[in-house]
Amino acid sequence: MIGESVRRPDMPGKVTGRAQYAGDLSLPGMLHAKTKRSTVAHARIKRIDATKALAYPGVKAVLTHHDVPRVLHYGSPHPRSASVTKDQYILDSRVRYWGESVAVVAATSEEIAEEALDLIEVEYEELPAAFTVEQALAPGFPPIHERADNLVVDPVVVRRGDVDQGFAEADLVVEGTYAMGRPTPAYMEPNVCVCRWDDDRLTVWISTQTPFMVRGSLAEVLGLPHHKVRVLVDHMGGGFGAKQDLFQSEFLCALLAQRTRRPVRMEFTRKETFLGGRSRHPGTVWLRQGFKKDGTITAREARVTFNSGAYGSHAPGVTAVGTAALTSLYRCDNVHLEGRCVYTNTPIAGAFRGYGVVQTYYALDIQMEEAAERLGMDPAELKLRNAVREGDLSPSGHPIIGHGLEDCIRRGVEEVNWKQIRGQGRKTENQEDSDPGPIRRGWGMGCEMHGSSAYPGIKEQGNATVRMNEDGTVQLFTGTTGLGTGAHTALAQVVAEELGVRFEDVSVVHGDTDVVPWDIGAFASHTTYMGGRAAQMAAAEVKEEVLAIAAEALEASPADLEIRQGRVRIKGSDRGISVREAVSPKKGLPTKQLIASASYTPTKSYSFAAHFVEVQVDTETGQVDVLQVVPVHEIGRVIHPVAAEGQIEGGIQQGIGHTLTEDYIVDPVTGRSLNAGFVDYKMPLSMDMPPIRTIILETAPDPGGPFGAKGVGEDPIIAIGPAIANAVYDATGVRFRHYPITPEQVLEGLRQKRKG
Amino acid sequence: MKISLTLNGEARELEVEPCRSLLDVLRNEAGLPGTKKGCDVGDCGACTVILDGKPVNSCLVLGVEAEGREVTTIEGIQPAPDRLHPLQEKFMQLGGAQCGFCTPGMIVMAKALLDENPSPTEEEIRFGIAGNICRCTGYTKIVEAIQAAAEEMGK
Amino acid sequence: MRRFEYFEPATLGEAIGLLARYQGRAQALAGGTDLLVELKEQLRSADCVVNLKKIPGIGALAFDAREGLRIGALVTAREIELSEVILRLYPSLAQAARELGSIQVRNRATIVGNVCRASPSADTLPPLIADAAQVTVNGKNGERHVPLEDFFTGPGRTVLSPGELVTELRLPAPAPRTGKVYIKHGRRKAMELATVGVAVSLSAADVRIVLGAVAPTPIRARRAEELLRGRKIDASSIERAAQAAVEESRPISNVRASAEYRREMVGVLTRRALTKALEATR
Repeated sequence: MIGESVRRPDMPGKVTGRAQYAGDLSLPGMLHAKTKRSTVAHARIKRIDATKALAYPGVKAVLTHHDVPRVLHYGSPHPRSASVTKDQYILDSRVRYWGESVAVVAATSEEIAEEALDLIEVEYEELPAAFTVEQALAPGFPPIHERADNLVVDPVVVRRGDVDQGFAEADLVVEGTYAMGRPTPAYMEPNVCVCRWDDDRLTVWISTQTPFMVRGSLAEVLGLPHHKVRVLVDHMGGGFGAKQDLFQSEFLCALLAQRTRRPVRMEFTRKETFLGGRSRHPGTVWLRQGFKKDGTITAREARVTFNSGAYGSHAPGVTAVGTAALTSLYRCDNVHLEGRCVYTNTPIAGAFRGYGVVQTYYALDIQMEEAAERLGMDPAELKLRNAVREGDLSPSGHPIIGHGLEDCIRRGVEEVNWKQIRGQGRKTENQEDSDPGPIRRGWGMGCEMHGSSAYPGIKEQGNATVRMNEDGTVQLFTGTTGLGTGAHTALAQVVAEELGVRFEDVSVVHGDTDVVPWDIGAFASHTTYMGGRAAQMAAAEVKEEVLAIAAEALEASPADLEIRQGRVRIKGSDRGISVREAVSPKKGLPTKQLIASASYTPTKSYSFAAHFVEVQVDTETGQVDVLQVVPVHEIGRVIHPVAAEGQIEGGIQQGIGHTLTEDYIVDPVTGRSLNAGFVDYKMPLSMDMPPIRTIILETAPDPGGPFGAKGVGEDPIIAIGPAIANAVYDATGVRFRHYPITPEQVLEGLRQKRKG
Repeated sequence: MKISLTLNGEARELEVEPCRSLLDVLRNEAGLPGTKKGCDVGDCGACTVILDGKPVNSCLVLGVEAEGREVTTIEGIQPAPDRLHPLQEKFMQLGGAQCGFCTPGMIVMAKALLDENPSPTEEEIRFGIAGNICRCTGYTKIVEAIQAAAEEMGK
Repeated sequence: MRRFEYFEPATLGEAIGLLARYQGRAQALAGGTDLLVELKEQLRSADCVVNLKKIPGIGALAFDAREGLRIGALVTAREIELSEVILRLYPSLAQAARELGSIQVRNRATIVGNVCRASPSADTLPPLIADAAQVTVNGKNGERHVPLEDFFTGPGRTVLSPGELVTELRLPAPAPRTGKVYIKHGRRKAMELATVGVAVSLSAADVRIVLGAVAPTPIRARRAEELLRGRKIDASSIERAAQAAVEESRPISNVRASAEYRREMVGVLTRRALTKALEATR
């Protein structure tokens, strides 16, 4: 069962349209809520008047900052963690970015709610606005929040060994500044929630990765006890990390429902998923490394600067994780890293698949290629030489297990015939006998590693309860949320495997905070690793109880028994009984409740990847097309191959977008969003995506994960970016140190190269 | 306004505001929330339905324009209550769906594609679904599922 | 969408009457793939929407070897894309239609709608102008004909007054061995608004080069045409014509591309389009 692509139980609903998403829910008397958003980037609200809107036929409630509790909230308050910031009011008398919510309306139809928005009068007193990190840090620029220096939190500093010594020993020093644009997750299901009050109890249907965070935040802000708040998550249309936060909308929806005493649905438009959602942190990475002649890295110094946007959200976590990642991937004993995150009056950056590591490893991997060139080495060789391995200290402070990264590099190099295929772009150009035309092709590779779990920033906990029913079927109660990755199916496979029952006999109960055990939420690639391990542990306990009961019936010792495919058998013999027979109620005898709970606090496990990419560059238009991708991933143990491949292929789509075509742009003068929609925020579509030949290795299983399994969700989006940039270099000889790489920049780069 | 239409093979009468899109009418008045709203402006294809035999973005059709027409949504794709369409089988089997939000529109579009072209090349498939955005799968397994369904249907 | 009044006139006269009565506050609805988007994004407002699709006689696509092509107001982009005669005789128009939006959009979007929306980057405009299309306008004062290249007055603006409707496009029958090419420049392979569009119609008798998305309206690159009209067309004259086209273009910079890049692409695309059209004439 482990390693088998079983049919996912959520699939029939999804392919028939019967699967319910939060926006599909219709409740009697339900009202529709719409949000009025600011049309200035930074301002005090001098006056906001909703009188006309309130009087509009069909409108049942309007809320402005005058009408809501003045309480700061975290967004996503992972408890005991330093990952997030508490700097946002439900509605404030001040707006800090173009598009921030200033008022909400609940009405009997969407059309009426929209029309009512036009009747809300707002007067702004504009304040100076900073749209870039430089502007926000300029001496004398006023604070956007409390801190005078416009940093979200104190800078992160990571030091190991002695960098000065390291650089002194270096034969070669390479230095560069790398710049990152602003991609957004662009999940297909816009953010949505429905709130209903029953007396003093609140029920929330919502698309969120963190239902217990939603419960906790709503309870805190609204002054409710947790047992009076119930959060329900059924199917979700994607999240990619960004649906961890609370977006003012949840509080506002709950308050509107409270005021009107009717259920209220608040659904973002696509444009609002940009304005009110979360993007990846744009920023820069200054990186300097020292190398010996043989390629060994002697020292590494970095300054990471991220643009947080108008609020902090996950600034602390992303900055810490992204910066600390630079202690690793390619081994280096002497590092000095600093990371900081800066407020600006732009849309909010938050958690997004890869969590700061997309940015820092883009820089690191590309710089390795620059070093390889100057050292006269094959970049694959240089990366292999320095790849972290068994025993090395990981960013979390734990020793790396196995040689996963080396395995990925070696396998990929062999698979694509690396040594033969490179340099074709240059060869084509040097052909003098025929006109090579404007097309150049090239191959590149990019490496990465990523941890499952948010340790040590957050000491997470996975909880699971496994219950065997009186007919031998099993239910797993898990607090982990289902983003759509198939993780719940994997958990069921783990339980079935551990218990020895058939996959069909296990079902997963999830998505109701009144019923399932507490869970921190689905993120950090930890559902299979952490949730799965907890499920395995709980299943193991139930198994012991089943064996004890069966042992009595079979007159054997539990140690002599095994369970397979739902049958308890004496090892080495045919004698046995079905699980069902063993546990079913016997006449006159009480039924024992077979139930066990387990709690797992993981440390960290690291997965690895090396992506090999072929690109094609049209040197007349500057267009870059990705022709094929061979991603090699080491993930310990594959639970569900199709689901694992799906994560890899999907992450590659997002990464190709990041690197070549996706950038959420803000007007440099007004701060207005210029491309908050799918016309001008350009994601790769079916005709833009290349064939992908996924290779999965299981050479470095982690005993901390169920059956050795590690995470895979974030790895692909990290490795693909540098692979593309490096392939473009192979094709054209032009080095890019930023993303996205636009056709205009390719042409400019080619022009510069021809001159110089 | 009152409209009559044939919806998934069934005659329906609905009371509809002119300013409401067919997408909203399907999801609300018609009680069929299977068709999804990904962008509401024709950029993503999540709302694809078949209107008089042609795949369209239902967010760009007014509900009232469906008067007298035949509409097929994801809820009407399977040939019988106990039998799924080969596209639905293959999407499930081969990983053509992850979060599932683009899936109704994708399957409806794929069905329209196969109805017109029963054995498309990979290029023709990618061209056919160019207006359907998926953010989870990278399209590889969607294309495989459509190819497998075409093969299955060709037998 | 904000609420509006809705009409389905049964005749052209009724439709014209409604549009005239509501002045600029009525919007005509054919395919709806521009109108509904703009209503939702509040780029346009409508007190009333006039659905044209019940009007008889404006939905035909017809070709006659002498009269040429007639495209009725309700003909969709998908019909154009799949029409055998258009693929054969007006291939640049077929190519443009094929690259407009997605199949779902093309099943609704009308060519005449694309024309009336008058976006400077609209795909069908350069090939239609290169093919010397004429617009048939119907209004209170009867029918008039306007050459398509004179139909546009600015971005999103045409010579139509409130109460006027375009009922048809007419294209002359092509001379034998005319090379017709449309090349669209975009960042992705589908679902794109052209950052630059170039259409070329090349025959022994004439050369027409039309540029889209590089001026407030689609424009003829007349100086480029002059360099080729009646001259030998080869790689070097094509190169000179492409350069002239670059100089004639007046693009703006926006989130899609900078003016400099667009100008450069005019040169690349004009050269490629002319080269391809030349091949088709052989």
